[in-house]
Amino acid sequence: METVLKENEVNQKVEKGLIDCDVHPYLADFNELIPYLEEGIQKHMNIGRFEKSMLSNMNAGAFTFPKARYANPNHVLRLDAITPEGGVPGSDPVFTAQDLLDKHQHTYGILNIGHGTMAGYHNVEIAAGYTSGSNDWLYDRWVLSDPRFKMTMSVTPVAPDLAIEEIKRIGHKPGIVGINLQCINIPLGKRHFWPLYEIAQEYNLPIVLHPDCEGTAEYAPPNAVGPASTYAEWHTSLSLIAQRQIASLVCEGVFEKFPNLKFNFIEYGFSWLPSLMWRLDKNWKALRSEMPWVKKLPSEYIRSNVRLGTQPIEESFHPKDIVQLIQMVKAEDMLLFASDYPHWDGDERDSAFLHFPDDLKQKIFYDNAKNSYRL
Amino acid sequence: METMQASNSVSVVVCAAENLQPGQRKIAVVDGVEIAILNVDGELYAFRNRCPHQGVEMIYGTVSGTMLPSDPGEYIYGCDNQIVSCPLHGWEFDMKTGKSLFSSKVSVGNYEIQEIDGSIVLKVKREPKSVSLKNFRCSH
Ligand code: FES
Repeated sequence: METVLKENEVNQKVEKGLIDCDVHPYLADFNELIPYLEEGIQKHMNIGRFEKSMLSNMNAGAFTFPKARYANPNHVLRLDAITPEGGVPGSDPVFTAQDLLDKHQHTYGILNIGHGTMAGYHNVEIAAGYTSGSNDWLYDRWVLSDPRFKMTMSVTPVAPDLAIEEIKRIGHKPGIVGINLQCINIPLGKRHFWPLYEIAQEYNLPIVLHPDCEGTAEYAPPNAVGPASTYAEWHTSLSLIAQRQIASLVCEGVFEKFPNLKFNFIEYGFSWLPSLMWRLDKNWKALRSEMPWVKKLPSEYIRSNVRLGTQPIEESFHPKDIVQLIQMVKAEDMLLFASDYPHWDGDERDSAFLHFPDDLKQKIFYDNAKNSYRL
Repeated sequence: METMQASNSVSVVVCAAENLQPGQRKIAVVDGVEIAILNVDGELYAFRNRCPHQGVEMIYGTVSGTMLPSDPGEYIYGCDNQIVSCPLHGWEFDMKTGKSLFSSKVSVGNYEIQEIDGSIVLKVKREPKSVSLKNFRCSH
């Protein structure tokens, strides 16, 4: 059989623009961060000129990141994204711009820091100091390097007053498009977070939740029923977190109190949405007097205020069924494209959305993100 | 039971007023349609005995007030004794209008009812062929 290639044939993309809601920048070396951390924080963490690495294997002296308990048996960073110099995938902004933004014609790539676990660190002063330093590092090294890079700023969820200070410090910067909050053992709907939501709404910055602290930070409970045994079990169960958090937000009336605030759940998938909407709607009809501030169907609040990253996209038995599922719950305006570059579980937009109609792709690839981040 | 034809509705005498004291309930069956009739502190209410959700008998529902729409974190009780909730899942209905509290499109269907000359009189749309009272387990 012969294949005839037509000359000058270009792959015509119908959609206009591409906003990638999940790109992960990594530190090539922890020392990159040192200039951004206050001396007192460095001293407390035993880093920078205070580094004491002796006996680090004995859990003494040296600082170690709160680590994820689950190790991917293969690789957690895609191997085709190792930098030309052999560096950690996602550690070189220039290469990431070529390998991701240029290759897929991104309009914007939204950076979510690849070491978010520190935001839920047990010592809140350190958590706040670290997140401030890492925000500045991310802005200087990445956002300023390419106008297509935008970022979510990290704040510590453990101490909302410190989170608010941080938002006041840098939340006005143009490259910052959302607030990266982390999962701790306080559900997102609780009053604990309301002052933070107030300022987020004032700054027109959506709250972004992305898996980092789940089961890792000291304040974060393991997935719902107890610790998983394997990475696969842990990773699959992450979607439960988003469901639980959205139920909390709806039932506590957060969307009544902050009607203009968006919550973008990135990397929890979305195929569970019908179940969540239907269950909440059903229960609200029966139990509304428990939450009289919830004045309309929970699914309506979810549709107006919650956005879901598509990645890791669920692969239905029949590929087209996932599209029907979206239509079933009218979620067309809720979904945000996320590549999760350079993670192992990322989605390639050309193949992952093959069966999606063009108008839906336009919304997922561009419009919905444009309308929910401060872009 | 007697019936009386008025302009666009028919009056059906359900029982003597003394047989429906405050706190008491009756089920009238009008042409096979069960209607729950309640005397709540002297106020009379009548509505379909079938919940529009999954059809259980509303006669067993609790009469109470409810939490009024409020700001997050606020509980304001109101509508005391004007709300009936379904004995199964608990959907709440305003007994005056029959409408559910979560959507005005969902209704248990209410009827006009009043006490006239010592009788409990129900208004229905057309002249019924059969009218009777139905027994139920009274636990209220
Ligand atoms: S059957 Fe009445 S609320 Fe479900």
